[in-house]
Amino acid sequence: MTFNVVVDVAWKEEILDPAGQSTAKVLQQMGYAADNLRIGKQIRFQLQAPDVAQAETAAREMAQRLLANPVMETYAVRVVAE
Amino acid sequence: MNYQDVGLTAQEFAMICDKLGRTPNALELGLFGVLWSEHCSYKSSKNLLADLPHEGSAVVQGPGENAGVVRLNDAIHVAFKVESHNHPSYVEPVQGAATGVGGILRDIVAMGARPIALADSLRFGTDAASQSLRHAVVEGVGAYGNAIGIPTVTGEVAYASGYEKNPLVNVMAVGLLPAERPISARGAKPGSYLVLLGQPTGRDGIHGASLLASQDFGEGTEHMRPTVQVGDPFMGKLLMEATLEAVGTGLLDSVQDLGAAGLTSAIAELAYRSEVGATVWLDQVPCREPGMTPYEIMLSETQERMLLVVRPSNMEQIIQIVAHWELPYQVIGVITGEKVLTIATEEDPAAAVVAPDVLAGACPLKPVPQDWAAEVRKTAEISPEFTPLTWEREWGLEVLGSLDCMSRAPIYQRYDSMILTHTVWGPDHSLAVLTVKGVEEGLAVAVRGPGRYAARDAYSGGMAAVARVLALLASQGAVPLGLTDGINAGNPDKESVFRDLMALLAGIGDASRAFGVPVTGGNVSLHNETHGEPIWPTAVIGAVGRHPHPLRPVLDAPETSGLDIVWINPSGDAALGGSVFESLRQETTAYPRPDLARLAETYRVISSVAQSADHLTAIRPVEDGGLFVALSRALLASPPSLGMTVELSADTAASQLFTEVAGQFLVFCPPETAGRLESAFGQWPGAFMRLGRVTGDGTLTIAAKKSVHYGRVELERTYARGYRG
Amino acid sequence: MRVGVISFPGSNCDQDTLSALGALGVEAVPLWYGEKSLAGVDRLVLPGGFSYGDYLRSGALAARAPVMETVERAIRDEAMPVLGICNGFQILCERGLLPGALRPNASGEFLCTWETVRVASVPLGFEGLAAGDLLRMPIAHHEGAFSVEPGGLAPLFQNGQVFLQYSDSVGQVHALTNPNGSVANIAGVSQGSVTGLMPHPERAMADYLGSVDGRKLLRGWLGEGDR
Repeated sequence: MTFNVVVDVAWKEEILDPAGQSTAKVLQQMGYAADNLRIGKQIRFQLQAPDVAQAETAAREMAQRLLANPVMETYAVRVVAE
Repeated sequence: MNYQDVGLTAQEFAMICDKLGRTPNALELGLFGVLWSEHCSYKSSKNLLADLPHEGSAVVQGPGENAGVVRLNDAIHVAFKVESHNHPSYVEPVQGAATGVGGILRDIVAMGARPIALADSLRFGTDAASQSLRHAVVEGVGAYGNAIGIPTVTGEVAYASGYEKNPLVNVMAVGLLPAERPISARGAKPGSYLVLLGQPTGRDGIHGASLLASQDFGEGTEHMRPTVQVGDPFMGKLLMEATLEAVGTGLLDSVQDLGAAGLTSAIAELAYRSEVGATVWLDQVPCREPGMTPYEIMLSETQERMLLVVRPSNMEQIIQIVAHWELPYQVIGVITGEKVLTIATEEDPAAAVVAPDVLAGACPLKPVPQDWAAEVRKTAEISPEFTPLTWEREWGLEVLGSLDCMSRAPIYQRYDSMILTHTVWGPDHSLAVLTVKGVEEGLAVAVRGPGRYAARDAYSGGMAAVARVLALLASQGAVPLGLTDGINAGNPDKESVFRDLMALLAGIGDASRAFGVPVTGGNVSLHNETHGEPIWPTAVIGAVGRHPHPLRPVLDAPETSGLDIVWINPSGDAALGGSVFESLRQETTAYPRPDLARLAETYRVISSVAQSADHLTAIRPVEDGGLFVALSRALLASPPSLGMTVELSADTAASQLFTEVAGQFLVFCPPETAGRLESAFGQWPGAFMRLGRVTGDGTLTIAAKKSVHYGRVELERTYARGYRG
Repeated sequence: MRVGVISFPGSNCDQDTLSALGALGVEAVPLWYGEKSLAGVDRLVLPGGFSYGDYLRSGALAARAPVMETVERAIRDEAMPVLGICNGFQILCERGLLPGALRPNASGEFLCTWETVRVASVPLGFEGLAAGDLLRMPIAHHEGAFSVEPGGLAPLFQNGQVFLQYSDSVGQVHALTNPNGSVANIAGVSQGSVTGLMPHPERAMADYLGSVDGRKLLRGWLGEGDR
């Protein structure tokens, strides 16, 4: 079966995000009341697996081992059958 | 919390209780823990460092400040220092390397100097994981240097399996300041405010530099991983501009950057050096995260922060500057006359009360054995010498295309080496030559740290590190102004490691004395070991020299055919100990101990030839890979039509082509200059050899009984892609 | 002639650009991005650097700065000549004052090298430059791969908006001379009085720096020619 996988990678709460900080500041200068802005990454791909459980396990493993850096990032994995 | 939790020994704890006349509370214990850590106190190395020569005619400021300062001319001084960020770069290579660059730049800025150049010295393992690590570290060095706009003008990299889990990331920064500017970390006066500038404080890297860099990696260190410090070169740029503008007004008492151990170290050092006290209102420190404890605030290693000491009457002007650069700032305390550091919070106005000289100046130092210097200088054990009896054409390519010798372009092209428009020679040469705007003299900047040479005999390796870097300056006729030493080694509590450390420093000390060049400061990084395996003791030496004519560097490759090719090898020895050639054959014999007096004389002659060089003469120090690599690189840097033919005796060819003994130079010159060199070096057997001639056939030809040819394309490809790459 | 050089927070080639212009004998005026007026300058340069740390996308945050409204008005109302170098080029594209966008380099890495660029079409107001001229200048960027929307390339060439293309040392433009993955090797474009380029002319002002071609380019932009 083919599954669509979406991995959202975000900075851990306590990690400084200079890019998010600067972006929020410019939005504020443009007149928007944006605050606590954090910039993350979204990674999408397709995955072949026998069932949804195994697809999720594999996707989690990929996130853990490569897509996110556990030292400073967290991730969330969504798996949907095509 | 007890003393073990903060990394103190029972003896140190007893001493603290004794000095305070009481038991320290938890916060105080935390402060002692970081400031008396290896990383902040240099307790294992300070007594050894004291033996290095610090005095010299060009020295304005020796060790003990944020950076050393030397005199370029009557109007301009040069601040420079090397610093390591080894442990953080292994934990998180991009951010670890980036924050390392940010940290050393802030050291230079804290001296009131505008940074003008960076140089990096990197060590990695040889496995695949190490190559990804290198990729990330280079990304990090570039990410910070490129964005803040300081060119990375030179550097070096080397590989050995011992660095696999302990990569080295040493970065040197160089800055300029007007001669009349006072050195600024010791001028704090009672009544002046402590103004904290820059990034709000988070829980970043608590214990990062201090504890992490003061212990070995192993099973038990995973939980110690602190919150990774993230570098923000954008904020770094604003902080640099604001600080330099504020320093330029002459209205600041003092400046101190925040690095390892954050506020604790900054305030304690500042008060200690200025011989004052301070009261810090901890609730005033702007925090990025809610609920931070006094301990966390005092120990946070959040990057891009600077502490300014400002008299109340000057506040308005300084704040105006800070506001222009849109930097967050806050008055967080005041300097007091009584030499006491008080940390005050709303609940507890005396949360911590300690004398700065106890905190920053009383950590017991590791004693060194009485006659350590004589002990480590004893003749090296004789290891069986490795001497090939033949030589093969293929060996040249193997060495040229080895990790240690091949082109560094894939690294340095990721660094902006040209911004600020003073880079006359950048990273495609062996050292950097920079112009200094408005004056005739320029700067020669070089960095070398040959760990391989110290693998078997750290004393020899220490001498060789200094000899290597100063050879580069000599080849330009540049006058060395000062050295900075980046010492990297394993766990100093082990006798073998400490012995190597003593030997390494004795070597550096003896060599810098022999060459008459002072060491004006540096950095020591210990505990570079994993599972009990230490790295090679690695001394990264940075040098700054006064270049007499930076707009016209002395050539390092011939530009016309017909020149003589001269090999200067003052020792006349061609031992392969410590060479790349030897390491490719899995051998490690001791690096031949340099004859320092002879090297000093050699550098004087080479420097004077360089200073009076005609436009034809090219001089190139022989470095990693030996003569073969020096010839190949010179060929590749010369016009495509040129070639070289050299003759060697068949039975010694391999040793001569690949030896890395100290003090060798390759000179391409007209016969008159060759004659001058011959009369200068003829006194030492084998020191002068006329090897051959620059030809017009585009080929490197080595005649040793039979003639062996290397085409330019073959050499170019091997140098660029590696052996058989 | 007064030439303004606008610095944004994080700009870092502003001083080099000011000295390069100064060396050409024009009055070069530093302008801080927060200033309301353009101080009566005749021309503007948006210099290189990392405005706002290049966060979000290179040039994106600076393009929204209030001073850019003033710049936009000066271009619209007075056809003010504006030159964007590197980050300045990125800002002008992000603001929509130049066509296209600059994507991350094909290698995914920052790249600092010497390149040869060939003049494809001479933008409005340049003197002393001709199509086919070759210039050697450094590049230093992470996001320099010029790209356009589908169908956008042909009009750029037809309208003579392609200013510079990366080439080899004899002016041949081909895939091997493309350092960063730019479409059609494009290194610079123009639109009306606005010109942008990725190479750094301010770093090619003297033989000892490796080239004097930056002089030729800047003189050309100043309408003075170098011949």
